[in-house]
Amino acid sequence: MAPGPTQPIVIRDLTKEFNGFKAVDDLSLTVERNTFLGFLGPNGAGKTTAIKILTNLLDASSGSAYLNGIDVTRRPKQALAGIGAVVETPEFYPYLTPVQTLTYLGRLRGMPRQAIDERSRELLHLVLLTDWADKKIGKFSKGMKQRLALAQALLHRPHVLILDEPTTGLDPRGMVEIRNILKELKKENYTVFMSSHLLNEVQEVCDHVALIDHGKMLASGEVSELLKNKGCRMLEVRFLQPADDAALQRIGQLAGVVEVERLSPETVMVKLKGQEEEQADLLDAIRGLGTKVSSFGESGNPLEALYMSLIKETR
Amino acid sequence: MEANANATKNGTKTLPSDLQQVGVVAKYDVLKYLRSRRLLGILIIEALVLVLITALVATSDRPHTVDEVISQYIGFVSILIVLGATLFGGDAIVSEYQNRTGFLLFPNPVKKSSILAGKFASSVAAMSLMLLIYYAVAIVGGLLMGDGGMSTRVFASLGLALLYGISAIAVAFLISSIMKGSTGALILTFALFFLIFSIATSLIGQLGGIKPWFMLDFSGGSLSYIMNNPYPVDSVDTIGIGSGMSYTIYNYFPEVYLSIAVMLAYTVVSLVLAYVFFQRRQMAA
Repeated sequence: MAPGPTQPIVIRDLTKEFNGFKAVDDLSLTVERNTFLGFLGPNGAGKTTAIKILTNLLDASSGSAYLNGIDVTRRPKQALAGIGAVVETPEFYPYLTPVQTLTYLGRLRGMPRQAIDERSRELLHLVLLTDWADKKIGKFSKGMKQRLALAQALLHRPHVLILDEPTTGLDPRGMVEIRNILKELKKENYTVFMSSHLLNEVQEVCDHVALIDHGKMLASGEVSELLKNKGCRMLEVRFLQPADDAALQRIGQLAGVVEVERLSPETVMVKLKGQEEEQADLLDAIRGLGTKVSSFGESGNPLEALYMSLIKETR
Repeated sequence: MEANANATKNGTKTLPSDLQQVGVVAKYDVLKYLRSRRLLGILIIEALVLVLITALVATSDRPHTVDEVISQYIGFVSILIVLGATLFGGDAIVSEYQNRTGFLLFPNPVKKSSILAGKFASSVAAMSLMLLIYYAVAIVGGLLMGDGGMSTRVFASLGLALLYGISAIAVAFLISSIMKGSTGALILTFALFFLIFSIATSLIGQLGGIKPWFMLDFSGGSLSYIMNNPYPVDSVDTIGIGSGMSYTIYNYFPEVYLSIAVMLAYTVVSLVLAYVFFQRRQMAA
């Protein structure tokens, strides 16, 4: 049965084989309307393959992929009508200008000339390419092309955006620019499905994540829920004085502590099984050992810890 | 910047028809030929050929009829058609993959059949423009330098040239749908017509003694032979070379209606195969 209007992207039992190798393996995923979902996984996990199937660039070996309730593997023209996509880093026709490129793609989608003109101006302003609107794309930098790619995906005001690692290969400034545009989109009624392996980026802009590895789904759901239920957290504890081995041994014996690792004479990393409650108990317990704690808190990116623990399990 | 809520019940928007999309693809592909200077390049080659032939005919002492002068020009049309098919069709499909522009074009709601048809239409338009200019100059040259009136055979030749051009582009599209690289596709298209087809046609006809009516370049030859009055007929000549040995020369000429059928067959079969390969081809990397 085709999915309903509240689920603009639905992947069911999707498999893609390349000469016996399963790049995507029985993958199922639903993206609810108006969510910003980060599609995470290491290199070769199958993210881009799944996105290519969704955007009709690859055929599926089996399974189905629905966009706005239409099976893209069977009726790609209709399914792709309501989406905008940036897959890998697309190249543009070097003999066209940004305005001509947007006009070409707008005409293919049946947009009226005036609407294309107005929307092109608006989007080129958004992606900071107004001054380059009438210059041929042939000599554009990768960052400029990536911003233009985002503009063409937004041209027809789609409900759904599919973005494949939109900041890959960009310099820090380019990444910030793209990320700012994504944050703007988040405020609007877009459903965004974005693959990335930049966890900071995903944590910054996404409210949902799906983690895959070896083509299989590891976990998916709201970022806050996944982090709450992830089981273990990495805590960085800094003492006022250097901690000796005996102190480390005692910490290792406290309730919920899975692992203790010395980072420097004063700093240790504690892997704790539990949530906020257990974290507070641990702090009390460490203080109870008679050592003075100068700082105590979750280490690094919590999404990264979740990602690493899930990926480790599949290795 | 708000997402569009103007959608139909099933979530899709009103899209242009396949035919309208063919027109859009064709228009922007013609722009490619203009901007990449391929059309300009081939028109310069065409102009050089025309100037050379005009100079040769003008400095010739022998009086010519209008048709004879035009025949001099038409003798070079096949070469121009091969060049045109190579430049306008050789990398039409493969370039979308090699240059990664397919990542931009294919996720749009447009069927691959529409993309193929649009690109084919633009290639045919460029080829037709090239041939029409060539024949126009040839006719003007014939009327200025020749005696008597012009026969309707010139227009028949133009029709055959257009058909040969279309079928050559179709073959180029087939090659383009199979090959992995643009350069390889361009070279193979050019070599196929200039070397492979012509060698095969010679071997089949001259050595095998079999009329190569099924070869595209042989059928394309009808665009020149049709200027002859009467139209040449096949002949077999046996020449004695001494010691009781002899050598047989086969002279085969394409029959006009059969050559039209062969060119149409090449066009249809090549385009169908090009579509099948294009449809199956994936943007894997």
